[in-house]
Amino acid sequence: MEQPRRITDSFPRRRRRGPGRPPGRLKDKKDKDKKDKVQLKVRDSARAPSQPAPDPALLEMLRRFDLSWEYGPCSGITRLQRWERAQELGLSPPGPIRDALLEHRDNPDVTYRWVWDGVGW
Amino acid sequence: MFSEQAAPTAQGLLAPPSAEPPTFARLAVSGYSDCSQPFQLGERSFSRQYAHIYAVRLAGMRPGLERRARSRWGNDIALRRLSELQEGEKCCVVGTLFKAMQLQPSILQEISEEHNLVPQPPLPKYIQPEDELMLEDELQRIKLEGAIDVQRLVTGTIVAVYGCEQEDGRFLVEDHCFADLPPPLPWSGPSSDRFVLLASGLGLGSVSGEALLSTQLLVDVVTGQLGAEGEQSCAARITRVILAGNLLSQNTQSRDTINKAKYLTKKTQAASVEAVKMLDEILLQLCTSVPVDVMPGEFDPTNYTLPQQPLHRCMLPLASAYATLRLVTNPYQASLDGVRFLGTSGQNISDIFKYSSMDDYLEILEWTLLAGHISPTAPDTLGCYPFYKSDPFILTECPHVYFCGNAPRFQCKLLQGKEGQRVLLVTVPDFSATQTACLVNLRDLSCQPITFSSFGADSDD
Repeated sequence: MEQPRRITDSFPRRRRRGPGRPPGRLKDKKDKDKKDKVQLKVRDSARAPSQPAPDPALLEMLRRFDLSWEYGPCSGITRLQRWERAQELGLSPPGPIRDALLEHRDNPDVTYRWVWDGVGW
Repeated sequence: MFSEQAAPTAQGLLAPPSAEPPTFARLAVSGYSDCSQPFQLGERSFSRQYAHIYAVRLAGMRPGLERRARSRWGNDIALRRLSELQEGEKCCVVGTLFKAMQLQPSILQEISEEHNLVPQPPLPKYIQPEDELMLEDELQRIKLEGAIDVQRLVTGTIVAVYGCEQEDGRFLVEDHCFADLPPPLPWSGPSSDRFVLLASGLGLGSVSGEALLSTQLLVDVVTGQLGAEGEQSCAARITRVILAGNLLSQNTQSRDTINKAKYLTKKTQAASVEAVKMLDEILLQLCTSVPVDVMPGEFDPTNYTLPQQPLHRCMLPLASAYATLRLVTNPYQASLDGVRFLGTSGQNISDIFKYSSMDDYLEILEWTLLAGHISPTAPDTLGCYPFYKSDPFILTECPHVYFCGNAPRFQCKLLQGKEGQRVLLVTVPDFSATQTACLVNLRDLSCQPITFSSFGADSDD
């Protein structure tokens, strides 16, 4: 005999939230690419890492890329956007950075700028 | 000229009715392509700071300015960044100008409670003799003095200065230069006379209805319902109408309803609703006969920051049924019959007017073309979208017709460049004040004003 089916089985599957999270955080759902740093921290703890965390040397290289002034301001845009902008302006940003950014696309520590104490632009 | 186009066999109005009334077919549109994609914003995000737009502006214009500097002051001049300056060494620096003005309205001064100051009333010009000019590059800034006109220049212009640093840390300028005219576009204009009508500042919804008669006369001339066969055959040569902003009057912007109590304003409609209905009817008459491009302006129902997005077609239900109506952005760039048009509704020029000693709108228009940027004061004093990837206001190609709307009077000038550029500069006057529109002849880039003055209340017959 098959398992008793529920009406809710036909509803689209949603990702299970971590415990202690308030329900109905719509902002969280559609803000995949937004730069809302305050919610970043919460999202980190809820998501199970699907790939191994990037090594500190990579993060250090990315931080140096952020702070190098030749490629323009780093606040408010993702590192990949900044890399592509530098490429289009002919400033020849280093290629390995782009490979690293694409490899760790899901990890917000990699895609977004390094944040001081959780509060940044 | 326009009136010389009359068909030679045209009859006057006082002629007996002919068996078959002559018809004049309007010249068909041969080539139109819209080039204002950089000004159309899709997803908008305002969570960025404006540092990005200044950085890409400098990075984008630096190569052109370095080339211009080398050709002007010699190939062997030293191009330095501000951090590499040495005292007394003659060199060239490329950077962004910043003008420190005491009278510039500052939001911090307005909300500062310790000073107990009333907010500064809007002035026609905010310049003062004590203003100072500073040059900024990616890392540092330095004060400029010398052969540079502080009163004339505005914040946000990219400039190359030649001079040396003094002991007190200021930079003594011996000469300076701007990006100059952008490279020319190939000319493929029509061989016969074709006209484009430029009008701006229709000002619908104003308290006085005096301009309505002039607006109706304008529509009648363009649709060929005015005049005898001579005028009709001329009007058939108008291939396009461009309305450059301020279709609604400033009176529709009154915000009294916000301060009044709700029970007083419940039944009142916003003034702009009636005005947009009137605009729809006028555009309907035009669209049935000629392609129309409608650009939004300062008082129109669209966003405030540059680039202004097109008016939404749901506001114009009657007129948007026709494919001849094109709702376009401000600034607007398009190629009509092989002639490249570029223009704004005038906010950039009037903003530079407020912060510069230049008084003539045509002079300011020419200066923006020579500076290589449509609106250098954005985002400092003029609202602008926080671009991060590229600055779409940088002029990369020289248009054939460069216009600005809502000017106080009509002026036009044909500018010849060193590399073969030919630009027609047109300041389109405010129609509600001057009842004047402009006709641009695409064949030889000449421009002619056309005035629809009607009897005013104070004029005696």
